[in-house]
Amino acid sequence: MNGIRIDLDFRRSDFHLVVDLTLPSDGVTAILGPSGSGKSTLLRLVAGLERPERGLIQVGEQPWHDSARGLWVPPQKRGQGMVFQDYALFANMTVAANIGYGLPWRGRKRIVFEWIERMDLNGLETRFPHQLSGGQRQRVALARALAREPKLLLLDEPLSAVDTDLRQRLRDRLLAIVATLEHPVIMVTHDLVETRQLADRIGVIVGGRMHRFGTTPEVFDDPGDLQSARILGWRNLLAVRWMQTGAVGGDWGRLALEGDPSPEIAWLGVRPEHLRIADGGVQGLDARAVRVRELGAIRELQCRLIDGTPLYVHRPWNEPVPAPGERFRLCFPVQHLRPLIEGADRTRIAGHRPAARQQEVERFGSGPPASRRQLGDRQAKSA
Amino acid sequence: MDAQEGLDLTPVWLSLELAGVTVALLVVLCIPLARWLARTRSPFKIPVEAVTALPLVLPPTVLGFYLLIFLGASGSAGELWTRIAGHPLAFRFPGLVIASCIYSLPFVVQPLQAAFEGLDRRAVEASFTLGASRTRTFLRVVLPGIRRGLITAVVLGFAHTLGEFGVVLMVGGNIPGETQVVATAIYEYVYILDYDSAGVLSAGLLAFSFLVLVLVYGANRRWHAELRL
Repeated sequence: MNGIRIDLDFRRSDFHLVVDLTLPSDGVTAILGPSGSGKSTLLRLVAGLERPERGLIQVGEQPWHDSARGLWVPPQKRGQGMVFQDYALFANMTVAANIGYGLPWRGRKRIVFEWIERMDLNGLETRFPHQLSGGQRQRVALARALAREPKLLLLDEPLSAVDTDLRQRLRDRLLAIVATLEHPVIMVTHDLVETRQLADRIGVIVGGRMHRFGTTPEVFDDPGDLQSARILGWRNLLAVRWMQTGAVGGDWGRLALEGDPSPEIAWLGVRPEHLRIADGGVQGLDARAVRVRELGAIRELQCRLIDGTPLYVHRPWNEPVPAPGERFRLCFPVQHLRPLIEGADRTRIAGHRPAARQQEVERFGSGPPASRRQLGDRQAKSA
Repeated sequence: MDAQEGLDLTPVWLSLELAGVTVALLVVLCIPLARWLARTRSPFKIPVEAVTALPLVLPPTVLGFYLLIFLGASGSAGELWTRIAGHPLAFRFPGLVIASCIYSLPFVVQPLQAAFEGLDRRAVEASFTLGASRTRTFLRVVLPGIRRGLITAVVLGFAHTLGEFGVVLMVGGNIPGETQVVATAIYEYVYILDYDSAGVLSAGLLAFSFLVLVLVYGANRRWHAELRL
């Protein structure tokens, strides 16, 4: 096996994390999720800083943990590199001592000075962490982790400890460093820009369950469920109340889909850049403009559909948009509409569909809109 | 001045020896205890904390009384010791060390516990992920991380043992050359109205305590780890 296999079951009081992932042996995997979703715990489990009840972690040919065989490799022996959220530099050691900490005695000096050179830390060798800027600390932490040539690099929110101004510069530098690495990287983050720029693959984790996993364009383009969509920055979400052959609908109107809708669809998502102000020929819904914001190269039009659903439309800065208060026709290109399921565990939904839900689906299948009671149920669920 | 010429310095050396041995033993014992207290979620934490803090609130004579019973010839520890060594623990230097360890325990445990609570756990974990063993992590990351607490613990433990009176008098019995320390010697000089000797010893104790505190706090402020490559 060349890639990384992570299959874990971890419980701590009322928190339960279940993950089963197989990653290729190179590239950057970003684990996205809200606070408390278990993304940092996942990283700590892979690093061996926490021990799960049941687990299998295999990196290449080397098993790090296999509870079935009673095998456990302590973090000291895993040959990984980890960059902590606040860098966790050794406050009592200089930059050079920090970088050299994990290195064998022989050749230590040479490797340290290579990394000092590579990370542009010249002249800072004898400084202590408290004498460094945020960016310099990040570079020291990266150098310290990379100097050991780890088989796997783990990054825990690598840019969260720096302010916005510095972020873009550090992101670029991180991108440049990560691009040169031959080993795989797992990065935990909740920063979408960071993810888009750095990650080859994304895993979306919510409530201890991996909701979505795929390549970065795939996942950003089709989140799959409501919670993943929200985490991935999707703001245009339409509650689906009924469905029929080739179309779904709600209090906002009716929209045709490519193919027949799955009975699991609970929401419809569309990215702001894919919405058009009516120019005929495409299906549309009535909307009213609320506000226009200039965002540099684009304009953001905030509008509401007839049932009050808020939507955001991104258009180029030089394209005319309706003025606030104006009514207009908003167009939804069918190829950009993404059906979303409610957002519970996908495997659970696929395996055991609740009976009540099935009935609801059958009613939907016959065409007429659902009763008010069913609508109320669904609204309560989505809330 | 006559009194000074004939001043017996044995209590001074005995005090220093007692404080040194006590602090050394306490540091070794209290590092694991303080680490456990700082990290545990066990229901035993509160009772253990209360027991270690007892010497802070108990009158020294009460503590000394129980220790005298416990360490004396008919006490459980004293009896065992008598069988091994041929004499009881009470009124001997080893008994004094045990009593001092118990009496000074909170002064060593509490700063260490606070230091462990403030220790950067991530730095310890970072050390593990960098392949360092537990021993190396303890020496290079944990010890420097708790050094302020450790210094405070050593200073307080040493000074407190040096100045203890009640427990030493109860358990040690103020036997010259055996268990008479500076504090009890001062008491005896005052008792026999030798104010000059009492004054010299008191001034010495005051100056020594002050000097130790100044040196340790001063060193603590300027202490930086050396670059080790």
